[in-house]
Amino acid sequence: MTCALAAMLASCGGGASKENGREPQELSGAGATFPLPFYNVVFEKFGQVNSDFVAYGGIGSGGGVRNLRDKIVDFAASDAFLSDKEMAEIKNPVIHVPTCMGAVVLAYNLEGVEKLNLSGDVIADIFAGEIKMWNDARLAALNPDVTLPAEAIIPVFRSDGSGTTFVFTDYLTKVSPMWKEKFGAGKSVNFPSGQAAKGNPGVAGIIAQTKNSIGYVGSEYAFAQKIPYARIANQRGELVEPTAASISAAASGEIPTDTRCSITNSDAEGAYPISTFTWIVIYKEQCYSDRSKEQAQATLDLLHYILSDEAQGITSEVHYAPLPAKAKELSKQNLKQVTYEGVAVLQ
Amino acid sequence: MNKTNTQHRLAKDRLMLWGVCLFATLTAVPLFAILGEVLLRGYDQLSWSFFTEPTPTAYKVMKAIEAGQSIPGGIANGIVGTVLMLSMASLVAIPAGILCGAFLAENSKNRFAQIVSYLTDLLQGTPSVIIGIVTYIWVVVPMRGYSAIAGSVALFVMMLPLIIRSTEETLKILPASLKEAGLALGGNRARVMLKVQLPAAFGGIFTGVLLAISRVIGETAPLMFTALGCSFIRWSIDKPISAVPLLIWEFFNDPNLQELIWGASLFLLLFVLTLNLLSKYLAKKWNQ
Amino acid sequence: MNDKLYKALLFIAAMVMPVVCGGVVYALATDAYAAFEHFGFLKFLTSSEWSYTEGAEQYGALPFITGTLMTTALALLFCIPFSLPVALFVGEYFKGTRIAAILSTVTDLLAGIPSIIYGLWGFYTLRPLIMALNISPQGSGVLTASLVLAIMIVPYAASLSAEFIKMVPNELKEGAYSLGATHAEVIRKVVFPVAGSGIFSSYILAIGRALGETMTVTMLIGNTNNIPESITSTGNSMASIIANQFGEADDLRLSSLIAIGLVLFLITALINMIGKIMIKRARIA
Repeated sequence: MTCALAAMLASCGGGASKENGREPQELSGAGATFPLPFYNVVFEKFGQVNSDFVAYGGIGSGGGVRNLRDKIVDFAASDAFLSDKEMAEIKNPVIHVPTCMGAVVLAYNLEGVEKLNLSGDVIADIFAGEIKMWNDARLAALNPDVTLPAEAIIPVFRSDGSGTTFVFTDYLTKVSPMWKEKFGAGKSVNFPSGQAAKGNPGVAGIIAQTKNSIGYVGSEYAFAQKIPYARIANQRGELVEPTAASISAAASGEIPTDTRCSITNSDAEGAYPISTFTWIVIYKEQCYSDRSKEQAQATLDLLHYILSDEAQGITSEVHYAPLPAKAKELSKQNLKQVTYEGVAVLQ
Repeated sequence: MNKTNTQHRLAKDRLMLWGVCLFATLTAVPLFAILGEVLLRGYDQLSWSFFTEPTPTAYKVMKAIEAGQSIPGGIANGIVGTVLMLSMASLVAIPAGILCGAFLAENSKNRFAQIVSYLTDLLQGTPSVIIGIVTYIWVVVPMRGYSAIAGSVALFVMMLPLIIRSTEETLKILPASLKEAGLALGGNRARVMLKVQLPAAFGGIFTGVLLAISRVIGETAPLMFTALGCSFIRWSIDKPISAVPLLIWEFFNDPNLQELIWGASLFLLLFVLTLNLLSKYLAKKWNQ
Repeated sequence: MNDKLYKALLFIAAMVMPVVCGGVVYALATDAYAAFEHFGFLKFLTSSEWSYTEGAEQYGALPFITGTLMTTALALLFCIPFSLPVALFVGEYFKGTRIAAILSTVTDLLAGIPSIIYGLWGFYTLRPLIMALNISPQGSGVLTASLVLAIMIVPYAASLSAEFIKMVPNELKEGAYSLGATHAEVIRKVVFPVAGSGIFSSYILAIGRALGETMTVTMLIGNTNNIPESITSTGNSMASIIANQFGEADDLRLSSLIAIGLVLFLITALINMIGKIMIKRARIA
């Protein structure tokens, strides 16, 4: 009812309509900090097309999903796809649209150590507090060319609910039975020791400020702060650096229709093992709160723009990887199901 | 024997004096250490654009850092939010606080007034983070979203007890003869309060208001759950909005934005300390 | 305006207070109810598990109650050696002098500094110092938070204590002097016993401030959800866990955070009430 009214008002208020036949809209979204720099550029460029305006709050994936559930945003952004339970809790059906791919890197602060090699089980043991010292025999075995100091390791992790944490712990759950049993995967996990900070940038900041620390962050935050990060052994035993190519390699497998899939610990050749898609999540039925039909259209325009070659081309500039063709194709199909008052928005 | 004992006691006396002086002086150190650090690291961040431009996006900052340039933008969005929310809060808190303070001063023996007085203390002692939670429940949930209104409600609740107390105390120390003379001249109680007592108490009440503003302007926790923050300048009262302390918190959590943190802190700190000193000065002046 | 209208207006303004306070308690209690109902009131307070694993959610407040008690107790401990000398300086040794006025202005200004700036200073100055001195490897922790908290509560304890020290009657002190007592002895034998309960109550109020301090603690305590093993360990206080997680929590976790808020509210209310009553008694005596 309110939606219908709002739609009527919006259509009456017409005037100089643009090429795609709608007024400029203000869209609001919230969620992941991981793809924030990418979204900053994309949203700005999208705004230039139709004078739309996108306000995005990097409050963490957990907060974004809550805002979507409270129906106070047009879209949520998350590095963790919604679990079946979350989908059930949110009641109305949602659609996941992957926007780009990225890597979670293990950034560290060790004086004089420029190259560090790690493997999944060692990372799990470090964050579980089992490996306590940098000169531990298992670390030394992975890094024969480096002298590691006899200092305590300080793990750094997230204090807020985070898709990055989910991706990281999802990986650890796959590579370490101990981790799976004791901690599991989730947006928030009870790490037993170390120090926590807010958001990807916060973790990067603490690592930069704290000697002998190691933590997981979205790769671009380590790049920007010029913090070194480790090469990680993948399932094939190759030591891989996070690059656009190694991240893309991780997504060479099957992608389900709803695009909800984890690509950590990929067995593909040259794949970086802690890679992930990052998603924007919207309601399938776009008429909620007092949103107008034009707002729904603008939301879809935005998502189509993100899937376009132009936007995907920006990914590498900000250290992300573009989506594989299949993910784009699936998403375009999925977006056709989006409705406003039961009528498909896209004809 | 007796002499050494006296010497001993005198030595102890002197030791105590020096100890008190030393530790009392040491207490002043943090003030100057904090002021010094914020000044030294912040003064060259202040510029015209710092006050006129909103905070930059993460992307722009990263590009600037990669290119080795200083990062663009400022804290204008925070200043706008702080001014907007503080004005809305003051608009309600000042009249309500003064009237409530007047009630307490006039009815100090009344049982209801004693309860109100006790509740004022209770609210004044309530941690600000709890005011944040409560305002979230009161305003954010029913309005389905964070907003400048919610932020002002939180600030209002924190200002109220401070203004009530200062009004009450100022009115109570006015000479009783003032009120009696006013009543004797035929004024009713409302007129005497409005024309005689409140003007006479103006200095004290004004100082109280200044102190209340300086106390809440730096509040961060309650605004995190109510105003949320916003990366561009806007004046709408029903949308999320930023504030200077909220920006400092954002900068603290993002190492890329560290260049802005000290300028923002310097601005806030100077503002708060100036308000404090001003109110102290005015209080002294009006008391004479 | 006639008297009736005037009285009604004042009464309405005064009603704001009960309405606001009632609203605070009501909002906290109704939203905290789900957590207390689910876990049981005592179990919630005594469980140390804070785990959000889907399907096996467990929320207990003990780590945060411990964190709050530890930071508050340590802050009080560190605050006394500074606030007491300030109180004696202002209220006894240099009572009424210009230098005393300057010192009390300085402490007043300390009270005015926003807590987020204390947090910044603690993070960028004190934390590196703690790491450099090898007190704790990660720098953040209960100790670091308590040190800054101590500075923050010095003004509250000092200014009120000074007030009570000032009120000690001169005749009493002069009596002791005439018996040959030194200044130090007068302070110990006369000033402290007479002003003692007042001084004590000023520390109770300082505790009230330290309990709920949020931003400083959040920035310095390290934000881990375990019971701190030692004073250099990281942890979370009741206020800092709320600051950290309130923005994203829902359902049971949201209710649990509000329940922690309610407990914190009740503790500070109790402490403040005790402090105020003691001050009133001390003033009368």
